[in-house]
Amino acid sequence: MTSAAIITGAAGALGQSIASRLGQDLEALLLVDVDEQGLAPVAESMGADYVAVDLGSDQAPDILSDALDERGWIPRALVNNAGVNRDARISRMSDEDFATVIRVDLVAPARLALALGPRMPDAGSIVNVASRAAFGNFGQANYVAAKAGLIGLTRSLAIQWAPRVRVNAIAPGLVDTPMTAGMPEEVLSRLVDRVPADRMAQPDEIAEAVAFLASPAASYVTGQVLVACGGRSIAP
Amino acid sequence: MNTPVVYEAPRGIGVAGLEASILDAFHQLRDAVTGGRAAVVIVRDSDLLGHGDPADAALANGLLGLVRAFATEGVREGWVVNILAVDEGADDATRRGWVERLSDPQGVVGALIRVGPLHLGRVPV
Repeated sequence: MTSAAIITGAAGALGQSIASRLGQDLEALLLVDVDEQGLAPVAESMGADYVAVDLGSDQAPDILSDALDERGWIPRALVNNAGVNRDARISRMSDEDFATVIRVDLVAPARLALALGPRMPDAGSIVNVASRAAFGNFGQANYVAAKAGLIGLTRSLAIQWAPRVRVNAIAPGLVDTPMTAGMPEEVLSRLVDRVPADRMAQPDEIAEAVAFLASPAASYVTGQVLVACGGRSIAP
Repeated sequence: MNTPVVYEAPRGIGVAGLEASILDAFHQLRDAVTGGRAAVVIVRDSDLLGHGDPADAALANGLLGLVRAFATEGVREGWVVNILAVDEGADDATRRGWVERLSDPQGVVGALIRVGPLHLGRVPV
């Protein structure tokens, strides 16, 4: 059987970096994203397979399980990286925007982990991509709740599935992606000024941390949150 | 002072119940603070640590995040939003006492109080 890594949100900048890095460690990659136009060329460039699916749909876990079965692959690693933002102040946040973020950033990874975790071999690994925002952020009540919930899910699954499958989370701070590049320059500059590292993370730096958690190098690490925020979470 | 809004996390909701439960909490907290009332969320400490059902753990930690988000955003407006984590043995008087303290407009904001010894020696949340 071929050992595969499943990476969600693989059409995005961070997902691409994670996939590219895990491709060095695993025999096969199954890339997942709702954006097929963005995903197909990424998969092609890596020699990876892909599935375009809306992870917010109830059918997504079955679709991905079937995709693994069709290929005769076993899920050795799962990286729940897909996520969306719908930022607004609490007083102006719509129910739709609130619920969408909870559905995609928390419920979807929970469903996928619960579907694939029991199918993983010994020493399987799940890495949930949370966020430093889980500790609190302005204008992101939905995102904060979803990412904090993802950390809770990580702890519970780590306990349930030990010692067979390890489950960890990473909490990145600002990452240099097209999404952050789209922020107003003065806002971005103000945010970077609060980071002791004095810069954003490059996607490859976060991918290295994900790869560590997914690898045998982290064989004694489970149920933990690796905060990769350039020191922002401890800054004054 | 107005009576605080108290939101106690339901348990056994399953993953299918996460979205509705967190949205319900969001509504209750927002209604509270925009109406000039304090809000206190109550969860199980064991759920914060992930000692049990995954959905219960996700909800408890998601509510902790939600409280912190409200607190962050409401600093200037003076919103009073806090969270209380209790263990199974916490009696009503203990809970009432902590809800009262956590609702004090001159008191803390965005704070997590963990009643009971479960968190000792374990990961901070």
